[in-house]
Amino acid sequence: MGSYILRRILASLLILLAASFLMFALVTLSGDPLAEFTGSNAPDKARLIQERIETLNLDRPFLVQYFLWLGGAIGCLIPGMSCDLGVNLSNQPVTSLIVDAFPTTLQLVLAATILAIVLGISIGIISAIRQYTAFDYSITFLAFLFYSLPIFWVAVLLKEFGAIRINDWLAEPAVTLPTAIVIAGFSALFFSAVVGGSRKQRLLVGLGAAVGAVLIFVGLVASGWFSNPGMGPGVVTIGAAAAAVGATLLFTNLENRRVLFIALGTAAAGVITAYAALPLLEDPSWLTLFGLGALVTAIGVGLGWIFGDIDRPAAIRAAVLTSFGVGLLVFMDRTVSSFAAYSAEVNGRPVATIGSKTPNFNGTFWEVTLDTATHLVLPTLAIMLISFAGYSRYSRASMLEVLNADYVRTARAKGLTERTVVLRHAFRNAMIPLATLAAIDFGAVISGAIITETVFGWKGMGVLFTSAVQRDDAYQIMGVFMVTAIAVLLFNLIADISYAILDPRIRLS
Amino acid sequence: MGSTGKRASVFATLLGASLVLAACSGGGTNTDTTDQSNEPVTFTYAYEQEWQAYNTGTAATNASQNGIPMNRVTLGFWYFAPDGSVAPETDFGSYELTSDDPLTIQYTFADNAVWSDGEPIDCDDAWLAWYSQSGQTDTFKPVSTDGYEDIDTVDCADGDKQFTVVYNKPYADWVANFGAIMPAHVVEQEAGIDDLIAAIQDGDTKGLEKAGDFWTKGWVFKPGELPDASLIPSSGEYKLDKWESGNSLTLVANDQYYGDAPKADTVVIRFIAADAQAQALENGEIQAMDPQPNPDLKAQLEALGDQIVFSQEDQFTFEHYDLNFDTVFKDERLRQAFALCLPRQQIVDTLIKPDNPEAIVLDSRYYLPFQPQYEEVASQITPDAYAEQNIDAAATLVKEANAVGTDVRLGYIVPNPRREAEAQLVQEACGPDGAGFNIIDEGDKTFFNANGALVTGRFDVAMFAWAGSPLVTGSSSIYVTDGGSNYNNYSNKKVDELTAQLNQTTDLDEQQNLIVQIETILWNDLATIPVFAFPGIVAYDATAEGVEYNASQSGLTWNMQDWNIS
Repeated sequence: MGSYILRRILASLLILLAASFLMFALVTLSGDPLAEFTGSNAPDKARLIQERIETLNLDRPFLVQYFLWLGGAIGCLIPGMSCDLGVNLSNQPVTSLIVDAFPTTLQLVLAATILAIVLGISIGIISAIRQYTAFDYSITFLAFLFYSLPIFWVAVLLKEFGAIRINDWLAEPAVTLPTAIVIAGFSALFFSAVVGGSRKQRLLVGLGAAVGAVLIFVGLVASGWFSNPGMGPGVVTIGAAAAAVGATLLFTNLENRRVLFIALGTAAAGVITAYAALPLLEDPSWLTLFGLGALVTAIGVGLGWIFGDIDRPAAIRAAVLTSFGVGLLVFMDRTVSSFAAYSAEVNGRPVATIGSKTPNFNGTFWEVTLDTATHLVLPTLAIMLISFAGYSRYSRASMLEVLNADYVRTARAKGLTERTVVLRHAFRNAMIPLATLAAIDFGAVISGAIITETVFGWKGMGVLFTSAVQRDDAYQIMGVFMVTAIAVLLFNLIADISYAILDPRIRLS
Repeated sequence: MGSTGKRASVFATLLGASLVLAACSGGGTNTDTTDQSNEPVTFTYAYEQEWQAYNTGTAATNASQNGIPMNRVTLGFWYFAPDGSVAPETDFGSYELTSDDPLTIQYTFADNAVWSDGEPIDCDDAWLAWYSQSGQTDTFKPVSTDGYEDIDTVDCADGDKQFTVVYNKPYADWVANFGAIMPAHVVEQEAGIDDLIAAIQDGDTKGLEKAGDFWTKGWVFKPGELPDASLIPSSGEYKLDKWESGNSLTLVANDQYYGDAPKADTVVIRFIAADAQAQALENGEIQAMDPQPNPDLKAQLEALGDQIVFSQEDQFTFEHYDLNFDTVFKDERLRQAFALCLPRQQIVDTLIKPDNPEAIVLDSRYYLPFQPQYEEVASQITPDAYAEQNIDAAATLVKEANAVGTDVRLGYIVPNPRREAEAQLVQEACGPDGAGFNIIDEGDKTFFNANGALVTGRFDVAMFAWAGSPLVTGSSSIYVTDGGSNYNNYSNKKVDELTAQLNQTTDLDEQQNLIVQIETILWNDLATIPVFAFPGIVAYDATAEGVEYNASQSGLTWNMQDWNIS
C-alpha cells in the first residue's frame, strides 16, 4: 500500500508540472494583458504600458516567464520555502487572493455538497427499495427536472421567491388561498409518499396530512408565531424523545427496551442539561457549546456502558446518536428564538439575496449564526438542488444492481431481517462506486461554483477565476488553476485509496 | 409494509404535536421597535468591483474601484461636478491663477484643514503630491506625470498653509492637478525620514527610495486587511473603518473633519455584480446603485414601482467610428459616402433610446450632450451634409469613385451585443442594398490585443469608445499625427498645430474656441465620426435622499456626504 501511494504521489507531481506548463502556455499565449490600454485614452498611456511590461516580465521570452513563475510556485509545495505565485494586474499578490477566496468557496460549497450527498444517497436508496412506486416515480421526475434546470435561473428565482417575497410576507404574515393550497398539496404528497401502503391508506394519510398542515399553518399565523418564532421546551422534549426512538430503531429495534431506555435517558439528560445551562447559552462561544455537547455524550456513553449489558455496543451507538440529535435540536431552538431580535437588526428583511454576511453585523452568537444561515440558505439550496439530482440517480442505480445480486438473495434466504439485508449487505456495497463520484466531485467543487458565486455575490474561487479570465490576468488564472489541479489530483488519490479499503477484491488482486 | 406505516404515523403524530406546541410557544426575546429618529443612519451603495488601495494615484491602483470609495476620504483642491466640469473643493482650500506667463498658481489649504489623526494638512503634503508625480524618480510609480513634470519645485516651507507652483510651460489642465492629496507625514514615518521636504531638497536618495516604495506599494492591501488607522488617515467627511473582503467596505464619519459633518453616520460600499444589484435594492440590502444599464434592468426597476426611484442618464463615454486612412478610406469620396450612409439616428433610436429616452445623435468628440457647452459647440462644427443620413447621395459617391462592392471591414471587440447590432444596421445602410459597399463584419475578441486588428491597422472602420473628460490633454494623442491612440493613421498639420496650442491654453473659453476649430477639421476630413454617448442609469430606494448622478469618473459617490435616509 505504502509504495502504491508513493508512486501515485510522484505521478501526481509530474502531472501537475506538465499541466502547469501547458496551462501557462495556453494562458500567456492566448491573452494580451496590454489589450486594455489600447482602448484607453489615459493621459500617460505609454508609461502605464511600460509599468505593466516590467511587473509581468512581458519583455522576457515565454520560457523564461514560465520558469520565473515556477520558481516562486514550487515554494508553495515545499514547507519552509516562501510561496510566491506572482501578482495580478492590480499588483495584489495572488497568494493573498487565494488565501482569501478559498475559505469563502469552502463555506459556500461544503455544506451544499455534503447535504446533496447525504440527501441524494438516502433518497436514491429509498427509491431503489421502493422501485416503481409513486415515490420512485416522483423522485425520478424531480431529479431529472432539477438536473436540467439552469442554475443562474434557479438562483434568480430563489432570490425573488425565497428572499424578497418571503421577507415581504414575514413583514405581514397572512394566510392566502395559494399558500394554503401549496402547503396542503406538499404535505399530502410528502406524507403519502413516505408512508406508502395501499392506495386507500395513502389517500387517507395524504388527506390527513393536508388538513393537519393547513390547520397548523393557520394556527401559527394567527398566534403571530412567524414574527416571533420559537420551539419551546415542549417541542424540544418531544423532538429529543423522537431522536432517541429513531436512534434505537437504527441500531436495533423498538422491542429492545434496554437500548430504548438508555437512549431516552440520554435524551432526558440532554434536555435537562440544556435548560439547566440556559444562562450559559445566552451568548455562548463554540467552546461552551462543544463542552455541553461532550458532557451529554459522555453521560449517554456512561449509561450505555453501565446498563448496556449484552447490547452495550448498540446502546452506546444509540446514545451517542441521540445526544447529537438533542444537541442539534437545542441549537436550533436557541437560534430560532433569536429570530425576532435578528430580524429587527436587519430592518425586518431577514433573508438576504447577496453576500456572505450583513456588513458590520454585531450580535449575540445566535444572531450571528442566523445572519450566516440567512445568507447561506439560498445559494446552498441552488447548488444542492442540482447536484442532489445526480447523487440520487447514481445511488438508485447502484442500489438496484446490488439488490439483484446473488449474495443479497442468500442473505434473505438465511432469514436475516430486511434491515440487516438492506443496511449491512446491500447498502455498503452499493456505496463503493459512489465513493469515487463523491471524491472527484469534491475536487471539482474546490474550483468554485462560478455561477452561484456570481449571482449571490460571494467572492470565492469561481469569481477569482472568471474575473482573471476577463482581464487576461495570467498569474491569477494560474493561481486558481494550481489550487484546483492539486485538489483534483488529491481527491483522485483519496478515491483510489478508499476504493482499495472499501473493496477487498481490489486490495487483494 | 404495515410496520413501516405504523412507524410513519407515529412519526407524523410526533411531528404534528411538536408543531402545535411550537405554535403556542413564542420566541425568547421581545423586541420593541425603537424610535428611529435618533438611530444612526447607515447608507449602503452597491459597486461592482472591490476596493483595494488607499492611494489612487499609482499606475497600478488608478481605477474607479479604488477611486469610488475614496472620493470623500482623501480630498484635493477640486472635484468633478455632475455637469462634467472641474469644481473647487472649498472646504479643503482654494487656488488662484496669479500669472499666465509663466503659468503660476497659488494654492491655500484651509486654516483648519487637518488629517483625521490631527496632523495639519500643509506644505509637506503639497511637496509629496508634486514630487511623487513629477517623474524625477523611478521609485514613485504614478499613473501620470502630465503637468507635474513641468513644475520645478513647490514654493513653501514646512508648516506653511500656502504654496505656489510655477509651470515651465503653460499646461491646459493645470486645474486638475493637486487632487486627492496623500498624507506626507505617514510617508515620512514609514520611510524613516524626518522631513520629506528636506529629503527632496538634499537629494536623500535612500530615504526617497523608501518613500517611493511605500507610496507605490505600501497603500495596496491584502484582501480584507485594513492597516492601522494611523497609516490611512482621512482628509474628508469619511474615514475608512472596516473592510470585509469580498463583501463590503465601511466608511464612518470623520470626527476631525473641518467642514460640515456628513448626513449619514456610516456609508457602506458593497461589492455586488451588476446583474444582482436590482434584487438587492428590492430586498433593502442596498439603497443606491448605478450599474451599466440594459433593457432587462430597466424592466426590473420599473416593476418595483414606488419602492424605488430611477433615472436614465448619459455616461461620460462615447462611441465613435474611425475610418482608416491607410486603406480604402484614403479616398475622400468614400469617407464622405460612408459618413452619409452611416445610420447614426437609427442606431441611437433602436439601440440607445431604450436605455436613455433623451439620447441624441452625438456630434462632438470633446463635449458630451449633458455638458453645458455641448449645444453651442455641436451646432458650429457639424456640416449640414452629415446631419441626416442620405443613402442615395452615398451610393452616387461610391459609383463616382468606381468603388461599388469595395470591401469594408468593420472591426470591434466581441462579445458585445450592442456593437454586433450596430454592425447589422451599418450593413443594411451601407452594404449592397444601401450605399454599395461590401460590409464585412469582423468582430473579434482579440481586437484590442497588441497584435490585434486595431493596433496593426487591419480594419477599415473601427468601432470603439473613448472615455470623455472635461480635461483637454487626454484627447491629444488621438487626433495628432502618430499619436499613441491614433490607430487610423490620420494626419493633418493644422490639427497638430491646434492641438499643441490647446494643450497649452489655460483659458476655458479659448479652449472651447480651439476645440471648435479642431472638430470642424475633423468633420471635414471625416477622420472619426462620433455616434452616441453611452447610456447610464441610477436607481435608489424611495427613502434615500441626496443621491445625485455624476457621469464623470468620480461616479455616484462624489457627494456621499449628502446621502441620507428619511
